[in-house]
Amino acid sequence: MAPDAMVTISDVHFTYGGKETLKGITFDARAGEFIGLIGPNGSGKTTLMRCINSMLRPQKGTIIVDGKDVSKLKVKEVARICANVPADCNEDFNLSVQELVFLGRYPHVDGMWWESKRDESVVKETMHKFELDNLAGRKLSELSSGEKARALLAKAVVQAPKVLLADEPSAHLDLRYQLEVMERLRELSRQGVCVITVSHDMNLTSKYCDRVLMLDQGNIAAMGRPSEVITAERIRDVYGVEVSVFRDGDEIFAIPRKAIR
Amino acid sequence: MEQSHVGRTKSRLWLILGLGTVSLFILFLISLSVGSYNMSWSDALQAFINSVMMGGDTSAMNTQEKIVFLVRFPRFLAAIAVGIGLAIAGAIMQAIVRNPLVDPYITGVASGASFGAIALTMLGFASGTLAVYLLPMSAFIGAILAFIITMSISEAAGGKAIAFVLSGVVVAYAFSAFTNIIIVSNPDQHKSIMFWMFGSLASADLTQDAIMLIALFFIGAAALLYARELNVLLLGDEQANQLGVNSRRLKLTMMVLASVMTAVCVAFTGVIAFLGLLVPHIARIIVGSDHRLLLPASMMIGANFLLVTDIVTKMNGDLPIGAVISLIGAPFFGYLLISRGRDYGS
Repeated sequence: MAPDAMVTISDVHFTYGGKETLKGITFDARAGEFIGLIGPNGSGKTTLMRCINSMLRPQKGTIIVDGKDVSKLKVKEVARICANVPADCNEDFNLSVQELVFLGRYPHVDGMWWESKRDESVVKETMHKFELDNLAGRKLSELSSGEKARALLAKAVVQAPKVLLADEPSAHLDLRYQLEVMERLRELSRQGVCVITVSHDMNLTSKYCDRVLMLDQGNIAAMGRPSEVITAERIRDVYGVEVSVFRDGDEIFAIPRKAIR
Repeated sequence: MEQSHVGRTKSRLWLILGLGTVSLFILFLISLSVGSYNMSWSDALQAFINSVMMGGDTSAMNTQEKIVFLVRFPRFLAAIAVGIGLAIAGAIMQAIVRNPLVDPYITGVASGASFGAIALTMLGFASGTLAVYLLPMSAFIGAILAFIITMSISEAAGGKAIAFVLSGVVVAYAFSAFTNIIIVSNPDQHKSIMFWMFGSLASADLTQDAIMLIALFFIGAAALLYARELNVLLLGDEQANQLGVNSRRLKLTMMVLASVMTAVCVAFTGVIAFLGLLVPHIARIIVGSDHRLLLPASMMIGANFLLVTDIVTKMNGDLPIGAVISLIGAPFFGYLLISRGRDYGS
């Protein structure tokens, strides 16, 4: 275990409905690191994310976050360390952008009913940073996908997390917003947050992430710098897809050719 | 200086409470003066003050004072208690099930209460001096029984919101079926059961009011304490857990509280339909989704709304109040659905 590890996962096994979806995962993530989780559908990416913030309890193995065993923390204690950026959220009750972002402060509010001056200034600053000032009073259902993604990101940031988990945050977005979300996540990691994201887009992941973890049927297929992990042979083995991988200096691009039957 | 979000929310809260109280006071005067025996509001107020000064000693009261103190004042309190109770229960249920088209009877408590009441009537206990207490008691037991069955089925089915709604529907049908069979085979008992089916505040007395108000006080306070948690719950179970709310436990607690509250109301005043569905809606249109405003606004609107309806009812020779609300509520709700239905559910 690295001495400066923020998240330490040791030999984590998770079984659901008789199927072992995680088969002994071990890895560390440091504060300030931006990590990308990739792998085919059903490889265990989301399960692993949900184990980290204790939404799921692994049957075997331990997960230490910020020096604490997450299985021994209360939900509210976990929420003070880990925040989550969902791909989408419920709009039925017509929350405004400002109300949504305020909800992110929930685990930190000490008062019984009202947010403090400090909570309020955190929300205000963050909304400014995410260019949401003009949208504060707008209902979530009136936002474009890109605006909504920014609001959800802001909600996670006011939670003041040490670990930020983003499960396909750019799934519904067009190219410009996909890049914007990844850039903002990277910025957060540079400010010392340990950011872990799940993505289906290998090129985006390799462009922005410091390290990539490729999962294959509940095992770690490879882990390391994007250019080490993303190779034509490995993608053929794990995804069953022929790809051409190009390099441009430090950046790499995987172009899919055809599915192997 | 621009006012902060929290500051603005606080001022809105005081505005809601202030306006609601003023309007309640005006309606209080009207409801004391309106009835089969009309008097001016100043006479009614004087009669009320006199009877309170007498410490509620009925032997010393004149006719006016007796009418005001023993009939109209208890009825006023009942309208407030039930208006607040059903409105809160409705707002809570809508937040828990995350569906704004849900009402407090969703757990089957209304059909359970009707069944409890009619079963007692058929067993022959519904007359005599004890009946005043036995009827509400058995209605309450029926309501809680229906609630427990609903919860057991939905928990066994995985505890999701949709399982909960469906099992409530199943239980309501089952209890209504029993009730209907009993009614059809005992046609002479129709009258006594009509009370539960339409709801009425006419038979309220001070003891019943006291029981309702005590239940209301504790359950209302608990709901208000959890206002922020209910806000977080609007984002869905998964998001609520990620923000540090134990959603399963919160939902279970709130569901029990809302159902007990509804059961208490139904036991004394019968099934007053639509109120618990309508009022949180109106409140949501006015104040938005923050439960720190929504719950107090629902309480105020619920109390005022039921009081107005009851006054209308009294002015028209005591129509069944549940039917009056449904008459007003059905077109209004239809309109809401057409104009805002798009925003709901996906």
